Amino acid sequence: MVPAAFLVTVAVFSIIHLTPGDPALIILGEDRTPDAVAAIHQQLGLDQPIYVQYWIWLSNVLRGDLGRSFTTHQPVEALIGQDLPASLELGLTALVWSLLVAIPLGTVAAIRRGTLVDYLATGIAVGGVSIPNFVIGIVLIFLFSVTLRIFPFGGYVPFTTDPFESLRHVLLPALALGTAGAAITMRFTRSSMIEVLNNDYIRTARAKGAGWLRVVFAHALKNALIPVVTIVGIQIGGILEGAVVTETIFTWPGVGRLAVESIFNRDYQVVQAIVLMAALSFMVANLLVDLAYAWLDPRISYA
Amino acid sequence: MRRVASIVCALVVLAACGGSTTSSTANNSGTPKKGGTLTVALESELRVLDPAESSLLVEREMYYNVYDALFTIDPSLKILPGLVTKWDTSDPKNLVFTLRQNVKFHDGTVFDASVVKFNLERGKKLPTSKRKSDLASVDTVEVKDPQTVILHLKKPDATLLSTLVDRAGMMVSPTAVQKLGKDFDVNPMGAGTGPFQFVEWKRNDHLTLTRNNAYWKSGVPYLDGVTFRAIPDVNAILSALKSGDIDVARVIAAKDVAGVKADSNFIYRNIPAIGFNGFELNSAAPPFSDPAKRRAVATALDRTSILKNIQFNIGVVGYGPIPPASWAYDPSLMPYSAKGEPDKAKALATGFSFTYKTTSDPINQQLAQLMQGQLAKAGITMNVQTEEFAALVQECQTPPHNFQACGTNWSGRIDPDGNMYAWFHTGGDTNDGQYSNSAVDGFLDDARVSPDTAKRKSDYQQAQKQIAADAPYVFLSFGVSPQISSNKVHNFTLYPDGMIRLMEVWKG
Repeated sequence: MVPAAFLVTVAVFSIIHLTPGDPALIILGEDRTPDAVAAIHQQLGLDQPIYVQYWIWLSNVLRGDLGRSFTTHQPVEALIGQDLPASLELGLTALVWSLLVAIPLGTVAAIRRGTLVDYLATGIAVGGVSIPNFVIGIVLIFLFSVTLRIFPFGGYVPFTTDPFESLRHVLLPALALGTAGAAITMRFTRSSMIEVLNNDYIRTARAKGAGWLRVVFAHALKNALIPVVTIVGIQIGGILEGAVVTETIFTWPGVGRLAVESIFNRDYQVVQAIVLMAALSFMVANLLVDLAYAWLDPRISYA
Repeated sequence: MRRVASIVCALVVLAACGGSTTSSTANNSGTPKKGGTLTVALESELRVLDPAESSLLVEREMYYNVYDALFTIDPSLKILPGLVTKWDTSDPKNLVFTLRQNVKFHDGTVFDASVVKFNLERGKKLPTSKRKSDLASVDTVEVKDPQTVILHLKKPDATLLSTLVDRAGMMVSPTAVQKLGKDFDVNPMGAGTGPFQFVEWKRNDHLTLTRNNAYWKSGVPYLDGVTFRAIPDVNAILSALKSGDIDVARVIAAKDVAGVKADSNFIYRNIPAIGFNGFELNSAAPPFSDPAKRRAVATALDRTSILKNIQFNIGVVGYGPIPPASWAYDPSLMPYSAKGEPDKAKALATGFSFTYKTTSDPINQQLAQLMQGQLAKAGITMNVQTEEFAALVQECQTPPHNFQACGTNWSGRIDPDGNMYAWFHTGGDTNDGQYSNSAVDGFLDDARVSPDTAKRKSDYQQAQKQIAADAPYVFLSFGVSPQISSNKVHNFTLYPDGMIRLMEVWKG
C-alpha cells in the first residue's frame, strides 16, 4: 500500500501542476495586476521550483498537514471534514438502496430466468447502466421538485439535525447516484447466481430434499455473492468521487463538489488532498473486499 | 464557471447579458410588510467574506447587505452619502470626509474616524488584500476628530469616491478583525454595520443573514433574514426558482428569459448594466498588429444578429467601453454598422486568418460559430480554439500573451475610468492586447485627475472614439442588470452594477 500511495502522490501532484492555469489569476479575477499576481505566487510558494514545492507538500502531508486552500485560506482538512459527512450520507444511502434492490432482484431474475420478471429486471438494469446519472438527476428534479413539488430541490440537512428532512433531501440525489450501481450489482448477482445454481452441489441439496428457498438463500446466494462483493467494494471505494456529477447537479455540499470547484479554481492543495483521500479509500475498500472473500468462502485463507 | 466573473461567462449565463430596458411589473407599490426570509441564488460559491480579500462578483452580493460603505449610489450611478455624510473635495489632494454619527457595528463597536483609518490602511497593507490598486492614490489617512477623516492623496484621483462605494470603502469592525483572526475570512461575526448581520456560512450549501434590529436607518430592513445559496448551473437555478426553493436569482440563461417574463408567478425586468461584452485582439502580434485587420474584423461582424441569436435580444449592441448606464455614455458613437459590412471590411483587409480562444461553454461556442460565418463573408478565416477557463485566462492574461483573439467580457465599474484605464492605457493592468495610443493615454490620464465632470466626460468620449476606431477590443454588446424573482418579492430596486440591495425589499 505504501509504494502505491507514494506513486499516487507523485501522480496527483504532477498532473495538477502540469495542467495549464495559474491559481493567482483565478484568485484575483478582475482585480489582477502584475504586482498582485507576483505577490500571490510568493505567498503560495508557487515561485519555487516544482520539486521543492512537491517536497514541501509531501513532508507536510506526512506530518498530517494537508495545507491551506489557496482560495478560502482554510485548512484543507477542515474543508474536507466539513463536506465529508454530506458525501458519506449521500454515498451510503445510494449504496444501501442499490443493494437492497439489486441483490433480491438479481436473485429473482436468476431463479426465474427467461420469464417476464427476468426480462423486466434485465431491461431496467440495461437502462440503469446506460442512462448517465446526470440525466436521471435532471429528470428526477423536473418530476419531483419542479412539477410535483414533493421533494426539495438540492440542499442538505444533516441526519443529526432532522432525520426526516435529511431523508427527504437525500432521496433524489441518492436515487440518481445509486441507479448505475444498482444495475451493475443486479447484473452480477443474476449471472453469478445462474452459475452457482447450475452447480452439482445445488442439485445434490435439492435431491436430498432441501427446500428451494433454503437452497437459494443458504447454499447458493452466499457463494454467488463473491463476485458481487468485488463490484460493491469498487463502488464503496468510489463513493467519494463517484458523486462528483450528482453533487453538482443537486447542489449537494459534498467532497465531490468541492473537488470540481477546486479543480476549476486550480486550488492545488485541496485537489491533491481529495485525490489522495480517494485513492486511499480505494485501497482500504480493496482490503475489506479481500477480507470479505474469506468470510464468504472459508476455502479462501490469508493465513 | 464558474463563475470568476469577468471572462466569457457573461454571454453565457447572464441573462444579465443583454441590455434593453425591458420593464415588466415591478411590484414596487403597496405597504411594506415586515418579516419573512428571502432566498437568493448565486451562480457560484463565495470564497471569502472579507471585502479586503474579495475578488469575486458574487461575494459583493452578500457584502452590500452586510457591510455599509463610505459612499453609495442611486440607480443613475450618482454618488450618495453612505457612512460619509458630507465630503469636501475642493482640495483634490486632501479630501475631507464627515462621518455619520451613532452608527454601531453588529458587534457593538462604534463607527468613527479611527475605524475608517483602520480599514483604509488595512486595504493598503494587508498582505492578502486585493484592494491595493483601488487605494493606490491614497497616501495617508488622518483622523481629525472622531467624526472627521482626511484622506491625503499622492495625486488627485477623480475616481476615488466611486471606488469607495464598493469593497475598498466597505467598513469592517476592527474589534471583529482582531478577535476572529484567520477565521475572519469565513466567519465575520458582527463585522458590518449594514442592514443585515452575518449568522453562518456552510460553504456550498447556504449563507444566512439576519435582520440588524439596531440599523442606523430606522424602519428598515423589512425582511427577517436572507439566505444565499450557490447553485452553479443556470438551468438548476431556474428549476429552483420554479420549485419555490429560491425567491431571487441573479442570473438565468438568456434563452429562458422570455418564459419567465411570460409567467405571472415571476418578475423579470432589467436596466442597462455597466459592463461590456466582446473580445480582445492582440495588437502586439500578427495579424492584429496591423490596425486595418482589427478594423476589418470590427466592421464585418453583424452585432444585431449576435444580440438576437446569442443573447435573445436582451441588451443593446455596443461599440465602445462606456455603457448606456454611465454618465459618460455617448449615444452618437457608431463607428461600425450594427448589421455588419463585409464588403467594407474586405476593402480594409481580407484573406487573413486568426485564432479565437474561448471556453467550451455552449453559448460561447455558438457565438464563435456565428462570428466565424460572418467573418467568412469578408474573406477572414477565424479558427476557434476551445480552452478550459483557467487555461484561457493564463494564456490571454499573462505575458507573453499567447493569443490573437480572446473572448473576454468585463463586469464593469461605476466610474468610466474602471472600464477604460486598465484596459486601454499603455501598460494597463488588464491591457492584454498591449494596445498603445498616446492620445488615448493623454485623455485617460487627464480624466483621472480632473475634478470637472464635464471635462472628464469629454475626455472619456474622445478616448472611446479613438479606441473604437483602433479596435484593440471588438465591442459587441452591453449587458443588463436584471430582477429575476418570484412575484412575492416587492420593492426591489435595480442598480446598473447588478448588486442586489435588500434593505428595502419586502416579501408579500
